[in-house]
Amino acid sequence: MLAILLRRLATALPTLLAVILLSFVLMRTAPGSPFDSERPLDAATRAAMDRTYGLDQPLIVQLGRYLGNVLQGDFGPSLVYKDFTVSGLIAQGLPVSLTLGGLALILAAALGIAGGILGALRPGGWLDRWIGFKSAVAVALPSFVTGPLLVLVFGLWLSWLPVSGLDSAAAWILPVLALATPTAGAVAKLTRTGLAEAMVQDHVRTARARGLSPLTVLVRHALPPALIPVVSYLGPAAAGLLTGAVVIETVFGLPGLGRYFVQGALNRDYPLVLGVVILYAGLILLFNLIADLLYGLLDPRARG
Amino acid sequence: MKVAGALLVAIVVAALLLPPLLPWGYAAIDWNAVRAPAFSPGHLLGTDSVGRDLLARTLAGTRVTLAVATAAALVALVIGTAWGATAGWFGGRIDEAMMRVVDALYALPFMFVVIVLMVVFGRSVLLVFLGIGAVEWLTMARVVRGQVLALRNRPFILASEAAGAPARAILTGHILPNIASVAIAYLMLTVPQVVMVESFLSFLGLGVQEPLTSLGILVHDGADDMDIAPLTLIVPGFVLVATVVCLNRLGEGLRARMAR
Repeated sequence: MLAILLRRLATALPTLLAVILLSFVLMRTAPGSPFDSERPLDAATRAAMDRTYGLDQPLIVQLGRYLGNVLQGDFGPSLVYKDFTVSGLIAQGLPVSLTLGGLALILAAALGIAGGILGALRPGGWLDRWIGFKSAVAVALPSFVTGPLLVLVFGLWLSWLPVSGLDSAAAWILPVLALATPTAGAVAKLTRTGLAEAMVQDHVRTARARGLSPLTVLVRHALPPALIPVVSYLGPAAAGLLTGAVVIETVFGLPGLGRYFVQGALNRDYPLVLGVVILYAGLILLFNLIADLLYGLLDPRARG
Repeated sequence: MKVAGALLVAIVVAALLLPPLLPWGYAAIDWNAVRAPAFSPGHLLGTDSVGRDLLARTLAGTRVTLAVATAAALVALVIGTAWGATAGWFGGRIDEAMMRVVDALYALPFMFVVIVLMVVFGRSVLLVFLGIGAVEWLTMARVVRGQVLALRNRPFILASEAAGAPARAILTGHILPNIASVAIAYLMLTVPQVVMVESFLSFLGLGVQEPLTSLGILVHDGADDMDIAPLTLIVPGFVLVATVVCLNRLGEGLRARMAR
């Protein structure tokens, strides 16, 4: 297990470093500056601003300084949200985004695995085809369509649920639902395929022949190998949920990381965009790592 | 698969041929019919918040979205095939190094890389599809590499190698024709993914820019105005989802048929 962990870290850390390097260089060589505005600053002020933010130094010096700071958890000052550091904005937004993404992941896994099992119970039956169709549509339902539609139906027409902000627990329902839908569809499909394959394998037939109850056969013998593709999907799913959260936070006006990211991107707030990209990359690599470790738990052959 | 194909053809044909037949263009403003309901005279699906015909706008948006998606998928096809075929052909260390790069890129937050590209180089349609194509080629590279690897030691390839054919001739003459069907199936599966990415970016205001329109922009505008004119959200949203579902179905059907 430790060997897998170390081997995976050996690829994950250089990847993270490459992300930082690439986005840093891209950001700094980009035309235009965050201090561009309708009324150009006079040269002296401009020079002073550049000096304050260290933008007058050569690129390699800026990069070294930035890496050093990032290692200490300091992503620099936000250029647009004056008086805020990027780390401060991240500390504000991250808990909201993580709660949103975490709840959506749990919901998607629960719905998807349950749907996949129900479908695989009788392959080709009406329930299987119905769930298959539902999950094919769910996969194609991007959060920026589901989000507004849910708001329209449950918020504006029926007035059952709040449409924005986070004033009550009920406010989480619509955003989590919209975010979880495509992931749930993908999980259902993976579970269904994996389970249908597992059900006809020798060890499952043996378990049946031993007279075990159908439930035991399903849960103890068929499900673990069937869930392997689902677990390897955890990494991409985390990436999908994080990107989806960007839209969901914009649609529902939630004070999460994604909203800062979009605002930062639209306003050329380089330190903010860079900080959030690094954080997202780190999170996604972390999820891939967790997926690899779980993989080892489910499939003894992968422990080697 | 037949239903999906028929619906997709209907959407594409409508997007390509119908706009000139409509009384209003996608950017034309009808001052007398702002937020007109469906079935108003001249506006079958009504108009948006500034009086532009919803049907014309949806068709124009579909056209832009599909054009960007097709172009980006072709970019992905070219990069992915070249990368995967090279890795699979040479094998050994080169293969390992090239596939390690693909693995590393797989772990990246694509969407954010594209957004960084958009921020850095400004927002243009050309860049949207180049950027998306540049990050969507990974699956294609993996698939092509696997195919080439399997073909590499087949007798007819070994025979032409032994006969002294240059690598370039073998690749274009024997390998490419044999991987074409699988590559096309994956091309079909890349298109809906690109549709999603493009709509996502446009929805956030980082993709296609006004006065051009795309399904993502229309969904965004519709979401802003949905309490008064719900159709402005529902129509482009439905077209987007229907297009993606159909493309996915077709792609999966093709893949199942090609996999043999």
